Amino acid sequence: MKSMNTMNKKNSKNKSSSINVKEQNSAMVSDSKKWFQSGSPWVWLSAAGVSISLISVLGLLWLIASRGLSYFWPATIYQFEVNDLQGKNHTVIGEIYDRESIPVSQLAHSNMVFSAETKMVERILVKTGNRELVNLDFRWLLVPQITKTTTPKNVVVIERRTNGNFYGFIENVILSGKEVGKDKLTELVTRVDDFQDQIETLQKSDIGAINYQLERLRLKEKKLKINHELTSTKQAEIDGEIVNLQSEYKKLEQHLMALRKQVARDQMIVKTMSGKTTTIDLENVLSVSFANQLTLVDKVGVFIEKIGHFISDDPREANTEGGVFPAIFGTVLMVLLMTVIVSPFGVIAAIYLHEYAGNNALTKMLRIAVINLAGVPSIVYGIFGLGFFVYVLGGSIDALFFPETLPSPTFGTPGVLWSAITLAILTLPVVIVSTEEGLARIPASMRHGSLALGATKVETLWRIILPIASPAIMTGIILAIARAAGEVAPLMLVGVVKMAPTLPLDGNFPFLHLERKFMHLGFHIYDVGFQSPNVEAARPLVYATALLLVTIIVALNMSAVSIRNKLREKYRALEH
Amino acid sequence: MISVTPKPLTSQQTIRDLSTLTPDQVALKIQNLNLSYGDKQALHNISMLIPKGQVTAFIGPSGCGKSTLLRCINRMNDLVDDCHIDGEIILHDENIYSKHVDVAMLRRKVGMVFQRPNPFPKTIYENVIYGLRLIGEKNRRVLDEAVETSLKSAALWNEVKDRLHESALGLSGGQQQRLVIARAIAVQPEVLLLDEPTSALDPISTLTIEELINDLKEQFTVVIVTHNMQQAARVSDQTAFMYMGDLIEYSDTNTLFTTPAKKKTEDYITGRYG
Repeated sequence: MKSMNTMNKKNSKNKSSSINVKEQNSAMVSDSKKWFQSGSPWVWLSAAGVSISLISVLGLLWLIASRGLSYFWPATIYQFEVNDLQGKNHTVIGEIYDRESIPVSQLAHSNMVFSAETKMVERILVKTGNRELVNLDFRWLLVPQITKTTTPKNVVVIERRTNGNFYGFIENVILSGKEVGKDKLTELVTRVDDFQDQIETLQKSDIGAINYQLERLRLKEKKLKINHELTSTKQAEIDGEIVNLQSEYKKLEQHLMALRKQVARDQMIVKTMSGKTTTIDLENVLSVSFANQLTLVDKVGVFIEKIGHFISDDPREANTEGGVFPAIFGTVLMVLLMTVIVSPFGVIAAIYLHEYAGNNALTKMLRIAVINLAGVPSIVYGIFGLGFFVYVLGGSIDALFFPETLPSPTFGTPGVLWSAITLAILTLPVVIVSTEEGLARIPASMRHGSLALGATKVETLWRIILPIASPAIMTGIILAIARAAGEVAPLMLVGVVKMAPTLPLDGNFPFLHLERKFMHLGFHIYDVGFQSPNVEAARPLVYATALLLVTIIVALNMSAVSIRNKLREKYRALEH
Repeated sequence: MISVTPKPLTSQQTIRDLSTLTPDQVALKIQNLNLSYGDKQALHNISMLIPKGQVTAFIGPSGCGKSTLLRCINRMNDLVDDCHIDGEIILHDENIYSKHVDVAMLRRKVGMVFQRPNPFPKTIYENVIYGLRLIGEKNRRVLDEAVETSLKSAALWNEVKDRLHESALGLSGGQQQRLVIARAIAVQPEVLLLDEPTSALDPISTLTIEELINDLKEQFTVVIVTHNMQQAARVSDQTAFMYMGDLIEYSDTNTLFTTPAKKKTEDYITGRYG
């Protein structure tokens, strides 16, 4: 009542004030009210929301893509003549890596003299390579100190297995100690490349297989010993096999040595930017390119080739160079394993909750628990995976099935299987919830139609309900993949490593080694970006790897989406 | 058991011809059937005989329990949570509600077609043989033959014989309903229950289905629920009028529509309510 009174008072006050103003006010009020009621403010708001989301997604992709892809584009090599503070001239050769303006005040300690108006000075970061010769492979140059900039045609970029790139000029090529002239270079580099390939296959598959078999024999012997079944005949058998393998190993080793000798035969003489000459073993050379002589077409070729190497090569130099193939492989394999594990469990759980569980308090609690599981921080799943899967489950598996390898664990240590299972638990709620929604959407007439033809409940589920619910199940799997592929934190506890010597899938029986540790693109980004000894060199790799991770997740999702759309097309007419 | 004193069967008095049925002329015998959903009783002490090889129609206003009664015959009411049934429905000297009856087997003998066509999202062919697949029939020749005869019986063969392996969802509503009938008769049931089979269809499809029903009674005992009195008059041999869960009157269709014995029946068929 009181408030009504005050309102009345206010109204009367308004009345008593100028009528003119009131009319104007009411006109304005009714205008804005009309505009408000027309719904256009909400249209504008939603449009703004959509555009902000779109812009941020596109911006993110653009940033990652431009930074990541520019890593592969062959850069122009500049030669700078620099007049430094002491008045000495020297030459710097390299590619421009970054560029920024800094306030003069930051340079106060460097005794440089600037005119009073200059507030900002531009400086460029040059990648000069030649790490083993100059210690620093990046250096900042102040633009005012540069007296001359050229792009010499004959400057060469040599990509090497160790110590990063070399920038300089080729003087001569040495074949078995004799100088034979620069023209021979391409031929000799290809020759070394071929040998290096042979060495790699020899080491990885042939010698690797023998080592693997030797290890298995050792374990077999140990197992027999533990079980007191090691008879002299068996011992002799094993010893015989070991001798065989070792002689084979010897042969391969000799072959390897011969190849190594061939590879180490040739060198080249090069001149650095400071005018020093030095030799580089061709063994150490991955590619030689005259970057300033490349036409646009050549550059595109090099660009594509470099991307190919990035995707298919192993990492080098503590992950700061080379490719990321093991990480791609590990990510995809782990996600696929996770999908295989999570789908049946999620679907079965959803079927139980929707079809069999009574509509009571317990079921409601179960549902709430499932939904809440989705909100648990992923690192908690990591801890759980480590504590339960790795130590308890893995430990028991070791004790039961692999006692011969103990105390070194087989399954009782982080590995790709445990990672997949941990992520499967993490993504289980997503699959359960969307499958249940799919089951709820199926019209009752489908069930009744099947039951009325004499089908049991299980037959109806299997033949009618599950196929119709398959698009919803696929949606759940898509969401699960999207979440799992980007997850890093729990994996650090249950199976991801910085550098895995072997892939979890190879030619040695049983081919899929679920106990092995693996590399993952997400962790690779973290490792390269934060744990690398050479941060500047690693920076573009971080972007490139991030771009690759996004691409892979999008690709995995797209393939799942296309499967779902096909299924949806099939059952579309059902959705009344 | 809720003890209900068996009233002298009022309906039996009106079933003039039906009372003279010999046992082998009877397809189904419903005895003192009571049904309740929770506290609400939906069927009161229904007793009736359904003759073999004829079309029996259930009519009555909405909510009178005619569909409920129909669903009792193949135990579809089992799917409703708090549904309680007592009384007996006898098929082949056996109460279908006795404990050792296999419900799936029963539903194979008593097929059902629903109000809205509900073909499965499979091919036409797979829809028809769904019931046979359930019994484990794998012989391609048997299946092909079953598809042809069922579709012919359902008067659909000529329209779909060239696209048997296309999705059934591409058919029109009337075709879908005939497909569903073909699906139901492919398993060779004895009784076919039709729950308002034409209520979702256009007049022409309705006519086709009505003609089909007429042919179907050669092979099957047909029980049809309809809210359309003309339809009941056109297709059925016997008609049962139900009201508020009671079976008011049950006799041959001609008698029921021309000289109804009960006031309520007369009121309904002359359109005074319903």
